[in-house]
Amino acid sequence: MANQNSTKNLVCPFCSLHCDDIQVKTNGKKYNVVENISCRKKIESYNINRHSNTYPLMKNKIISLSDAIKKIKDIVNSHKEILILNHGIELSGLRSILNFASQHNSIIDHINSKYLFQNIGVVQRTGYIATSLTETKNRADTIIVIGNKIFDKSPRLIDKVLLPKHSLCSNKNNRNVILIGNFPIKIQKEIKNRCKLTNIKIDLDLVPDLLKNLQKEKGKAIKGVSANTEIKLKNIISKSKYLVTTWAASDFMKNKKPEIIINSICGYIVNLNQTQRAACMPISGSLADVTSSQAMTWMTGFPSRIKHVSNSFKHDRESYDSENLISKKNVDLVLHISTISPDKIEINKKIKNIVIGHPNSTFTNQPDIFIPVGIPGIDYEGIMFRTDNVVSVALKDVRNISLPNSQSILDKLA
Amino acid sequence: MITHLKSGHVYDPQNKIFNIKKDIYIEDGKIIDKKSIRSKIDKVINCADKIVMPGAIDLHTHIGGGKVNIARLMLEEFHNEADGNYDSSSIIAPSTIKTGLKYIEMGYTSCFEPALLPINARQAHAEMADIPFIDKGGYALLGNDDFFLSLLKNKASQSMINDYVAFILKATQSLGIKVVNPGGINAFKFNQRALNVDEKSKYYDITPREIVSKLTRAIYDLGVPHPLHVHCSNLGIPGNFLSTIETIKAANGLPIHLTHIQFQSYGNNGDRGFSSAAVEISNYLNKIENLTCDVGQIMFGQTVTMSGDSMSQHKNHKHAHPKKWMCMDIECDAGCGVVPFKYQDQSFVNALQWAIGLEIFLLAEDPWKVFLTTDHPNGAPFTSYPHLIKLLMDRSFRNDILNQLPEGILEHTILHTLKREYTLNEISIMTRAAPAQILGLKKKGNLSIGSDADITVYDKRKKDIEDMFAHPCYVLKDGHVVVENGRIKKYTWGKTHTVKPEYDKSIEKTLGKFFDKYHTMNLDNYIIKDDEMTRLVGNPIYVNDCKTKRKQ
Repeated sequence: MANQNSTKNLVCPFCSLHCDDIQVKTNGKKYNVVENISCRKKIESYNINRHSNTYPLMKNKIISLSDAIKKIKDIVNSHKEILILNHGIELSGLRSILNFASQHNSIIDHINSKYLFQNIGVVQRTGYIATSLTETKNRADTIIVIGNKIFDKSPRLIDKVLLPKHSLCSNKNNRNVILIGNFPIKIQKEIKNRCKLTNIKIDLDLVPDLLKNLQKEKGKAIKGVSANTEIKLKNIISKSKYLVTTWAASDFMKNKKPEIIINSICGYIVNLNQTQRAACMPISGSLADVTSSQAMTWMTGFPSRIKHVSNSFKHDRESYDSENLISKKNVDLVLHISTISPDKIEINKKIKNIVIGHPNSTFTNQPDIFIPVGIPGIDYEGIMFRTDNVVSVALKDVRNISLPNSQSILDKLA
Repeated sequence: MITHLKSGHVYDPQNKIFNIKKDIYIEDGKIIDKKSIRSKIDKVINCADKIVMPGAIDLHTHIGGGKVNIARLMLEEFHNEADGNYDSSSIIAPSTIKTGLKYIEMGYTSCFEPALLPINARQAHAEMADIPFIDKGGYALLGNDDFFLSLLKNKASQSMINDYVAFILKATQSLGIKVVNPGGINAFKFNQRALNVDEKSKYYDITPREIVSKLTRAIYDLGVPHPLHVHCSNLGIPGNFLSTIETIKAANGLPIHLTHIQFQSYGNNGDRGFSSAAVEISNYLNKIENLTCDVGQIMFGQTVTMSGDSMSQHKNHKHAHPKKWMCMDIECDAGCGVVPFKYQDQSFVNALQWAIGLEIFLLAEDPWKVFLTTDHPNGAPFTSYPHLIKLLMDRSFRNDILNQLPEGILEHTILHTLKREYTLNEISIMTRAAPAQILGLKKKGNLSIGSDADITVYDKRKKDIEDMFAHPCYVLKDGHVVVENGRIKKYTWGKTHTVKPEYDKSIEKTLGKFFDKYHTMNLDNYIIKDDEMTRLVGNPIYVNDCKTKRKQ
């Protein structure tokens, strides 16, 4: 529990880097980030403010927690098809979701499954060669970044991993960074000031063609890439001792075939490894998607979109897609679990909606019942998984606003 | 509550009891002396026609951690085995719940994950926390991490290395230390594709021999009961028995455990350049006192191979079945590779691998030195143990299968000449008492007064030994009857076994600076604290004793 007016170490739950080097000043109720880091504002936005809801609400009126739980139990018992929609939660909460689902034969989906399945798809189709944040920091001499929103999602990726102060085995000042896509000028400048930058401004649908060309003597012309640029790229890549490609699958979702872009990147890296070392580092998990997919996989065999039927969990990527289920009203109750999401929760008024969420949760429409819960890493301890899937962090608590955690609520409902 | 196992035919090798009719009394999860009973006996289980053994122990099974989860995820198309009691995950990459249920059904009560990457330890423990019934633990991987290799390169003292090893055991809540392809995983990150025992890695200028030598010494000095658990260099490569022997020598006579030795016992003789070197390896096993091994028997059928050995798994990806695979470089710590594979009985190489594993079992003179494993799931899923036991105990059954293998295989194996049939005494040693002893689990693998009441009761009347071992009548975990006649009676959750040798804490300062500079998490977060194991990970720890105190 947080002390009055103290400086505490925050292990950040709000993006998939889960940085654990952040200090906050806290009086027990409010916290402020000490350092001037790029995601400071985002972290502080979870402080209680005049719009926060710290009491359970039913039809927008305050009720007691015990009444809220009683009402939810009644609703749960009177509904046939329950969808648990995970908007982000840590490991203990996930265990409770699984337990609840097994008691009530519920469906479970994660709000980011459609992005998650893009990267999982390649594992299930062909596999690939992956690397992790620390490997990239210490070994990479060439980094290819594909897509331009990756730095919005993981603001400290450049400072902590791509262009760090220290690197064990690579010359950090001699790194090549190749940006593929349409990157903001600010990012380009920042990178250019610190390493060798090559900027390939192309439509991401052309990435598979570009990667094909890089493996051939001569390929077909690609709009936005001159022959000289291709030669330059081939030269950088062939001299590379450890090349890393990084992307966020969500960047490709507006493209024609995101899975083909990802397949082409992974295939390219696999081919490079015939003679040299290279690896992929997909960035994902802004809403604890990695935590969810990891824990669900070890507990059921499947990363998401599962339903408990006759003593076991079944998986169906289409049938248990939350978007379809809600839009087609194939479920009659949605239980939203949202402990870290900054996004507005979509409430379809045609079906019952219960939200167990952090106090600053916002909605498109008011849910039938809302129970505010603490934020893992702010109000209570927990475990979350980083984007690279191999590192999990122990979240700490930095404030005490006397809210229950979602696990305890779910366990009462089960 | 007092439970009485009445008149069972007891096998308790540690106490030199073999097939002796005995009564066993249990209270509060422990085996008690009849004389200490003060209240009424609540439950009597008639064991008159039953065999009673301590719960079985699997000292090398991949049941938790990143690579296991990659396999579960990758092989989704195999997850269709719902049978009413379980989820639908496949037994080649089972969910945590299925892992626990299938193990306990066979009478296994303690299982150990042999490749716990320090950086991934929190995940591995969290996964294992969700495995019901069994006690568990893990061996932390060292020998490819950049910090350790930097220590060696900078000629750090043995005592500093010992401190680092002890720190890792504490920080990762591990029971032992394993080295996988010593130095090779790290060398692969620098594009070396092979690393023999006396070959120097290009970047660190260190040989696998030096790594094995330093780590075996550290384990010995710290008094950690389980010797260094070694996955040797050159796994799966024809002719690798020579580097296996050199790895044994690298221990300089100190205790060493070679794991899945079947994969390390290959010659390169004959027209196909692949032959059995089981005799050569067994000669070493039989003559060297401090050498133990587990076999890693293969069975025919679909499985998935998973290993920290990214160097060899990258090589193996060409054999993937189905055609997909994954390798990963991990956090300046280790690596991993997941390659699905189908062992085929009509493949010469696979058939000979099967024979080599059995040769090693049958040539081993001392069942206290060789352990029954399939390196689950690398050689086969752990559910094939009863079949493996039958292969060892029934020569005609073994030979029937051998005779169905490809023509010419008999010219490459001595298996058909080995008349030995394992006895129940020997099976009880190699699956209970011996693994408990080599892991330093004093209260496991035996039925002494005060030991944990993890007990398996088999039906002596069953004619088929495979059926008997696959379906015990009773399994007791911590004194609770959890399986009765094949049905789960009660869910229990085991604990995590660790050791915590003493060390000089100044190593944490050095390591802290290394983490601050080169890692992407801080040292404090890397360490899994004891209370975190209970509160967050979900697995309370049990600290086993080290043999000796730290030498100053």
